[in-house]
This record gives sequence, structure tokens and C-alpha cells, in this order.
Amino acid sequence: MPSLRELQFNVMDALLAGSPECALALIARPSEAASRLGVYRNNVQSNFQDALRSSFPAIWRLVGEDYFRQAARGFQHRRPSRSGDLLHAGRLFPEYLAELHGADAFSYLADVARLEWLIQEALLAADRAPLDLQSLAGVAPFAYDALRFEVHPSLRLFESRYPAVRIWEANLGSDAEPETIHLESGGDRLAVMRYRLQLKFHQLSFGEHSFLDSLGRGDSFAAAVDRGAESDPAFDASAALQRFVAVEAIVDFHIQTEEGH
Amino acid sequence: MPENAGIGLRAQHHLHVVSESPQTAWFEAHSENYFADGGSHVECLSRIRACYPLSLHGVGLSLGSTDPLNREHLANLRRVVARFEPALVSEHLSWSSVGGRFANDLLPLPYTEEAVRHVSSRIAQVQDALGRQILLENVSSYLEYTSSTLTEWEFIAGVAAESGCGILLDLNNIYVAAHNHGFACHEYLQGIPRDIVQEFHLAGHSRIDLGGRELLIDTHGSPVCDAVWDVYGAALQRFGNVATLIEWDTDIPAFDVLWAEARKADSVRNAQHAVAA
Repeated sequence: MPSLRELQFNVMDALLAGSPECALALIARPSEAASRLGVYRNNVQSNFQDALRSSFPAIWRLVGEDYFRQAARGFQHRRPSRSGDLLHAGRLFPEYLAELHGADAFSYLADVARLEWLIQEALLAADRAPLDLQSLAGVAPFAYDALRFEVHPSLRLFESRYPAVRIWEANLGSDAEPETIHLESGGDRLAVMRYRLQLKFHQLSFGEHSFLDSLGRGDSFAAAVDRGAESDPAFDASAALQRFVAVEAIVDFHIQTEEGH
Repeated sequence: MPENAGIGLRAQHHLHVVSESPQTAWFEAHSENYFADGGSHVECLSRIRACYPLSLHGVGLSLGSTDPLNREHLANLRRVVARFEPALVSEHLSWSSVGGRFANDLLPLPYTEEAVRHVSSRIAQVQDALGRQILLENVSSYLEYTSSTLTEWEFIAGVAAESGCGILLDLNNIYVAAHNHGFACHEYLQGIPRDIVQEFHLAGHSRIDLGGRELLIDTHGSPVCDAVWDVYGAALQRFGNVATLIEWDTDIPAFDVLWAEARKADSVRNAQHAVAA
């Protein structure tokens, strides 16, 4: 008699790796064992595919159900779920699409998938109260160099050579024929985030992108301003600060004391 | 929990429940759907919790797995239990992962003494981590293992006795398993001790044909069928008034359809009372 652990490995190999031989020997009613095990295999695949569909609704719409399920099967075989919560199953799906289509006419799919994943992350991130501007006004100018800002937990930065947001928006609904979008009509550089309970996109200049990226990594305000100015000579740090506080992309600040270094 | 039937809360109905405050005795939510740090689902459940009794029902802990318990999952569960203060917390008597790979489905265990001991020790770990008793739910199953030495009801009663957990009896799952494996529902009900059942689940199932053999599948996508209402009547007779929940998970209809199913459960219970009196 197999141990419980052996039994579980055999059944899991049948469900995920498509090698049912060992599992079949463990199942009662030999003549029906394969079809009964098949019910589970179908469930396991369709649960996974449905979870990917809810994480990547625009990809589903763009490629159609048949191709989506085929790609999801390939992805599940390569990267089976590592979590009891299927919300996490699609984390590497954009990468997988890039492997499949990185070099062909559908290379935009991976970028749209990456955008959809960031959207999901933004929608599930922690809530934060906005920054109190009064308290920021109280910071003495000489202390600016020691300032460190905190970005909203939902903030994600996204860049693509394709108009990914327009493609995503055009493929959310299920009824009307989506508009025609030219892939070379301009790329995206933006912040994806949640404002209270709503998803927001903010188009960014090169300087703003570097600035937010730097703040998000925990750099000091001074270092983030340098990063912004390096990538964009026209970068205006005080305008950027006002903008990102107003949209609640920046939610808190600290003054780093000398001992902190 | 209130006497009247509750409804399984699904995201499609969040806004309806928040804005219309329907007359519903209580709600049950899937724990994992509220593991997020923030956002609208968590916000909706907080508002609903402020107005209704709540139960949290987990689908992803993989209690029966021989891997170590997933600490992150358990920490998330502890966090949602602390956040929403549910009246009941339940998990499934199944496994869904091994060797770090997840099938994300409720897979049956072999009904052996080894599995009784294993699952019981896992439940003890979860109850210790949460600082409270949990309920264990029987799952639907489509296959049996040759290594099983116990009946399903002996297995579940054994786990409850050894771990001190309560039981959530899914009456549709009993009906589905009885059909698929060839036993009688009443035999199952008689095999479960009276005092440990704290919740019933009711749902719909579907049928598939496996080359001449009809199998029932626990799809939760249709109304409760007459035969399962009969099992409900028999269960009320044996276990008394137990908190009852209507579940629907695929092709989820308008909230009113679930509401009507809950009213039907109430009327079955009331009719039973009248007969008993």
C-alpha cells in the first residue's frame, strides 16, 4: 500500500504532468479509473484557465478562447501554480507570452499582459491615506536633501513601445467590434495605480518616470531628483512633486536623520 | 448563526448587497478572495460584515497535503479572521498540493487511519494558529482509492474526534458522492455523530456521461435539486436546526435567485418543525 505522500505525488503527476500510469493503479474500478481521473484533470485545467482569464481579460479577448486555453495549458505545464490562491497563478504568464511571441507580429501581447498583471496588483494593494500637505509645508528648506518620500502601495510603472493602454481599453467589453489601433501609433510610459478604489493611469515624461522609479526604490528625494534630471533635462522636480502628491501617488514622507546614514 | 439560511457571497453581488441591504440572515465568503491588502473587495466585505453575521470558508489551504502547511497562506487566513471576526471558519477535508505544486482543486484523500492521523494533526496546527475551532467540510468526489479502509463517514467522524474540529456537512456533496460511489445518503448521515455538525451547505450539481456511466459533478451552477432537498430534510431531522447556506459558483444568477433558494430552505425547515410539533 502506498504511503499518503506517495499517493499524492502519483496523483499530482497525473493531473499536472500528464503521466497517469502510477495514479491509475491506485484508483478503484479499474475500467473507469482513467475517466474518473480525467474529471479531475479537466477541473484542474479549467480552474487554472479561468483564473488566468480573470487576470488577463483583454488577452482572452485579443486571442480568442481556443488560443487562450491552449496557451494557458502550455503555461500551466511549464509553470504550475505554486499557491493555494489562483490569483497568483498568472505572474509569469506575460513572460511566457513573450517567449511564444517575442519575435513575431504578436509581440504586443506580452506587453498588454504585463499591463494587466500590474492592474491586478494595483487593485489588490493596500489602502493608504493621502499625504497631509500642511505637514510637508512645515519642512524647512535645508532639510529637503534628507527627505524620503513613500509612494502609494498600488503604484506600478509601465513602459511599452506599443499603445498598450488603448489596446487594453478597447478589449475590455465583450459586445462591440473593438476600434482598430495601429501598433506603431505611439508607446506608453505611465504610472498604474489605485486612487481610493479606482484604477488610474498617469502618463509620465522620461524625467517623471525615473523620479518615481527612484522614489519607489527608497532613494532619497535628492537622489530621485537627480535621476529625473539625468533622464530628462527639462524635468521640473517641484512640479512633479505637486502632481504626484495631488494624485496620491506619493502618500508620506520622512526626514532621514544623520544617524540614519 | 441565525436560524434562517445564509447565502454564499460572490463578488458579482457585492454592490447589490452593499447598496440594497437585502434581508438575508448571514453571508459566507471565500477566505482567499479577501487576502488582498486593500482594494474594493476588502472594502465591500468590511461594509457587509458591519451589517450581517459572517462565516469564512477556505478553499486553498490544502489541509490534507503531506507538504508542510503553507505558512504564508495560514498567516493570510489569520489576518482575514482577525479583520472580519467571522462567527464560523471552515476548510475542506481534501488536499490540493504536493511537492510545492498546486492543482487548486479539492482532491479526495484515501480513507485510512494514516490519513486520519495526518489530517487531524494539520487541523490542530490550524486551530492553534487561529486560536479557535474550525469546521471541516466533506467534498464531492469522483474516484475512490483502493487503499481506503474506512468509509467516508467513518473517516470524517474519526478526524473530528481526533482533532476536535466541528463538521460542515455539504449535503449536495454527500448526494454526489453517494451516486458516484454507490452508497446511501442516510447511511452517511447516520454515521456522523449528532453533536458535531455546525453548518450545512446546499447547492446544485450537474451530470456527465462517462461512456455509459453517469457521474454527478459538483458544479454549483444550478438550483438545489429535489433529491438534495430530501437529504436536507433528513439531515434536519437527525442534526436539528443547523446553520444552512446556499452556494452558487458557476453561471452565477441574479442575487434574487439565491435569495429565493434561501427562502426555500427556510420553508423546508419550518415545515419540518411543524411536523415535529
